[in-house]
Amino acid sequence: MLELGVQTKEIVRDEDPEQGFRLLRSAGFSCADFSLNAYLLNLDIYDAHLNHFFDADIEELERFFMPHKQGAVRAGVRIHQMHMPYPVFVPRGTNEDNAYLWHQMAPKSLRICAFFGCRYLVVHGFKLARELGSEDAEWAQTEEFVHALAPLAKELGITLCVENLYSALGSHILEGPCCKARKMAERIDHINEQYGAEVLGFCFDTGHANLVGIDMEEFVRTLGPRLKVLHLHDNDGIADLHQIPYTFARARENASSTDWEGLLRGLRAIHFAGVLNFETAPVLTSFPADMKEDVLRFLARIGRHFSEQFGS
Amino acid sequence: MMEVLCAPAGLAAWEHPRQGVGDIAGAGFSQALFDMALPFPVKELRRKGHDRAWLERRWQAARELGRQFRQAGVRLPLGYAPHFGYAAADWPEVSVYRSLIERSIRLGQEAGCRYLVVRPWLAQLSRQELWARNRAFYLSLVDCAREYGVVILLENQARSVHGHLVRGVLSEAEEAVSLVDELNEAAGETRFEFCLNMGASGPCGMNVQELVQTLDGRLQAVILCDSDSGEERQLLPFTGAGRLVCETDWLSAIRGLRAIAFDGWLVLGMLDTAAAFPPLLRPQLLALARSVAEYILWQVEMEKALARYPRRVLFGAGNMCRNYMRCYGEQYPPLFTCDNNSALWGKEVGGLAVKNPEELRRLPEDCAIFICNIYYREIEAQLREMGLKNPVAYFNDECLPHFYAGRLPEGEA
Repeated sequence: MLELGVQTKEIVRDEDPEQGFRLLRSAGFSCADFSLNAYLLNLDIYDAHLNHFFDADIEELERFFMPHKQGAVRAGVRIHQMHMPYPVFVPRGTNEDNAYLWHQMAPKSLRICAFFGCRYLVVHGFKLARELGSEDAEWAQTEEFVHALAPLAKELGITLCVENLYSALGSHILEGPCCKARKMAERIDHINEQYGAEVLGFCFDTGHANLVGIDMEEFVRTLGPRLKVLHLHDNDGIADLHQIPYTFARARENASSTDWEGLLRGLRAIHFAGVLNFETAPVLTSFPADMKEDVLRFLARIGRHFSEQFGS
Repeated sequence: MMEVLCAPAGLAAWEHPRQGVGDIAGAGFSQALFDMALPFPVKELRRKGHDRAWLERRWQAARELGRQFRQAGVRLPLGYAPHFGYAAADWPEVSVYRSLIERSIRLGQEAGCRYLVVRPWLAQLSRQELWARNRAFYLSLVDCAREYGVVILLENQARSVHGHLVRGVLSEAEEAVSLVDELNEAAGETRFEFCLNMGASGPCGMNVQELVQTLDGRLQAVILCDSDSGEERQLLPFTGAGRLVCETDWLSAIRGLRAIAFDGWLVLGMLDTAAAFPPLLRPQLLALARSVAEYILWQVEMEKALARYPRRVLFGAGNMCRNYMRCYGEQYPPLFTCDNNSALWGKEVGGLAVKNPEELRRLPEDCAIFICNIYYREIEAQLREMGLKNPVAYFNDECLPHFYAGRLPEGEA
């Protein structure tokens, strides 16, 4: 059986983190995707309202997160992956804010990740293709960011994981950074060769892939061992809903309109041995609060179903 | 030289095409897509495709469609073969499909087509197996295509996952290029090229710029339409709007086509828009459609227009002029710019001297004047009133190769 994980947002609260970890453990998850991005929200970053959570020095931040770390250990949950706040660059943002994200938030995120004993830190690539004129030029900027963090990542034994993202024109979702599997495989290898360590890997986000019609099986097969972590969630192919897998259908036969079979074929083909991790915090707010544990159990049940497809 | 073709779907019913064909010709389209798929709607073809008499009647209808176009003086350089849609379950054995395509090649040639879009055969197979089967399928068409002098265009596909369109075969740049090249190598000649269908890329959220630039000279046709992420849909470009913007990524498409100096066919597809319009309004719709196609053509050819003249000056000293200098100033340097605002005379914009428009009278006759201001028509009238004989063209900065992106932080984290 593969291990199951879920993001901590809407489950683990600062007032009593252990309770949240126990809840997800009892629901069937042995791993957690720690939502570090909940401490500096993306909407606030876009609106230039930085809360300066990351102003604190690393010792202060470690003290702040000590109850979370201990709570997870006591509940028997391993922090398998973590999400850095995003975006890490706002094209129309001030130089000061962008420098803060780059020089304060990002390296401290790595330190916190290491503090939790967590191996994988998911980061968002820069969304600059429209401004810079090509996906290659966009990646060049993300690569600069990765290079800025890579020495520290290597020192701390952390793998930064870029994920496939999207952009939008009106309500139409279009492919964003890191949606070209072949290129991403080459780029990851190129960077890791330079550092002689796995400083960069990939986080495959099924919901984002579904929004831009990515062939999941092919994408995963192409990434192969560079695929380190997963963001499993579902949507209607139109909006980024982060819902429960198998929820959506488009045709009268009511079969899932998301290619879960293709994803599982791909994961099987590359002998994926990581964590089946769900990025489904919005599910926990869309269902009534008193159903939270039931919902988590159901998600874990889907995780077990996925895992069973891998065979023994 | 890039040319515009009108796709008749939604405009000319295959059962009685005369009025629609007349509308297309009346709007000034001298060329159209010979859409042989029209008399073969997917559901009917799947149900009745084995019935030879039914098939024959539909082929006759396709022939009549071609005849009507020719009679109206509309050329049909590009054909589109019948197909079975984006759902693998709808597709027959490859031999059944091949016979449809061979008939399309013959009929296409008869109608004047030199090129024919042939979708890849589809089945519920692995990508690798599908690739291998399609390689064999396309190569099996070489003799027939050669005999009738037709070049086959492969097309990027979507794939239906229970009604949700995702990227199908030939939607990835490397895959498309390698299959086209492989086929041509095996054929021993350039018998295969490519058609980009924006109706198949749009629902999958694809940025087609890379596909276009990687295909480069292999790209022979582009089917222009708006679409959305909901389902297969062909809307007149710029009509698929929401939240105050057009939801089709024209910027990426135009950037790609401009970068490769595309000179194939722009095929205007508007099936759903045209079908939704009352027939009485179709002539007006077609007039608009023609303007839309010409606008896209103009945008794609912007750089070609700059290169067309040995010397050039700009008219306008605002942001558009700055954008010109930032993106094209080095490759296509203007002699100077001018502006009606006398306060700017003697100053510089983007390193370019700003002069009084009266200076334009001293230009050599082969020097083009590029208007760099949104008041195109007023400025053009001003230039004509001045009696200038120089070529006048419009520059526009809506689809530049790159925009300002702010300053990135520097140094190690």
